[in-house]
Amino acid sequence: MAERIGAHAARPVPLHDEAARQEFVVSLRQYSGRVLGAGNYHVYKARVEPAFTRAKGRGPQSGMELREAMTADPFYQFWSAIHRNSQEMIWDSVIDTVERTLPETVAMAAAPQPLGSLRLDPALPIPRYNSVYDIHLQPGGYHTDQCENDIAAGAIYDLGVPIYSLQRMNSNTNANGVTMVHYFQTRYPQLRPLRILDLGCTTGNTTLPFADAYPDAEIYGVDLGAPCLRYAHARANALGKSVHWSQQNAEALDFPDDHFDIVVSTLLFHETSRTATLNIFSEIARVLRPGGVTAHFDGFHARSSEPIIEFLGLWEVDNNNEKFLLTLKKMDVVGINAQNGLANVRFDQTPYLTGLPQVSAKGKGYMAGGGFGDIDVLVGEKAL
Amino acid sequence: MTETTETVRLQRVPKGPKPQYFADPATDKLLTMVLELIGELSVARDRIDTLERLIEQAGLFTMADVDTYLPDEAVNTQRAERRARMLSRVFRASEKELDTIMDKVAEQEIETALD
Repeated sequence: MAERIGAHAARPVPLHDEAARQEFVVSLRQYSGRVLGAGNYHVYKARVEPAFTRAKGRGPQSGMELREAMTADPFYQFWSAIHRNSQEMIWDSVIDTVERTLPETVAMAAAPQPLGSLRLDPALPIPRYNSVYDIHLQPGGYHTDQCENDIAAGAIYDLGVPIYSLQRMNSNTNANGVTMVHYFQTRYPQLRPLRILDLGCTTGNTTLPFADAYPDAEIYGVDLGAPCLRYAHARANALGKSVHWSQQNAEALDFPDDHFDIVVSTLLFHETSRTATLNIFSEIARVLRPGGVTAHFDGFHARSSEPIIEFLGLWEVDNNNEKFLLTLKKMDVVGINAQNGLANVRFDQTPYLTGLPQVSAKGKGYMAGGGFGDIDVLVGEKAL
Repeated sequence: MTETTETVRLQRVPKGPKPQYFADPATDKLLTMVLELIGELSVARDRIDTLERLIEQAGLFTMADVDTYLPDEAVNTQRAERRARMLSRVFRASEKELDTIMDKVAEQEIETALD
């Protein structure tokens, strides 16, 4: 497993049976997501849609309308239960490795890390949208310190995300960051950023590609979770990159106005509340420098208007503690950012860059279609 | 409260409500058991595969030797006894049910004999 996902010196190395279990979970999720999951669409067409239409005298108008009928269908029920179990098993399988190696990983991260910097704030309140339940079922979430100088949340994320993404996010799980860097370099090639901010940086897997792409810039990563940031700092040093990490709530940053040339986030907003999203967008408009650009990758809108596809795309809301995925889709994020004074706010398309071949579609719906293809990026600029 | 890292057991259960997927919660539990068992089997199979490869590399015997191994009668008898004990454990709920039924049958026979 370590070779397949590009190990670095800070990442715990699984023993034989731990790696075998982690590989099993990858296989299970591939099977559940692509083989069984492809059946959900066909089951819908064969029996759920006809029954719905008979009962209501019309077809469904939204994904949420299908919730009752789909969760009562035995095939979907069984698939959904398997998929939920597989998500729990991701974390359980990697926690074995993290727990066993915890003392040495903590000691490694606590040793002097010469590149970049780390600023923690033990008094920072953890907002309810992080603390009330564990996002994507990761036990302890991003923020819980389970020992002194804890790094467990970071290591668990670093080992778990490759399983979740079926090893399609490149070595060191940096595909999201590589994708966003490519977007900036192709769409804004003239930009010479001095300071770059990555919001919700977790382990820095999306942050480090910016360090590579803009060697003259100062790179900053912000996150709520201290154990993630300690791990990120050690991970960046192991990979030879300099980043300034700080534990902050993106809703209230301590950076001055007009400070960053680039502000980026990947998969941040669907894990924050509606109010938090509004606050974070305000902060971005404040800290962005005139002439700067902000871009975000997240599930801002449904990938399809077909109700069954929309429904399957919302599986994570009810089954993976991603409650705000639906909230985010209802927000007019373009309008909000325009009202905050950003210029040229829109969605651009950019290719999702993963080094692995795209999986061919076996069906439609949740995960069955394989690769992302082009993704939507929310973009805004601050006028000079 | 923090503990020394030597004794830390990390959290295993995520906070938040777990959906019930089936009408009977026992079914949810059984599915979890089955999936975990498949995982255990998968890990064991991988380990066996590793052992065979390392043994072959070390020149002790080959995987072909394993494929063509035919146990003799003594080994087969031992294995059959092990399988029977395993099946008894796997089906112990049914065995208990059967014991209860047979106890009742025995009671009936005794009563009939005493009439």
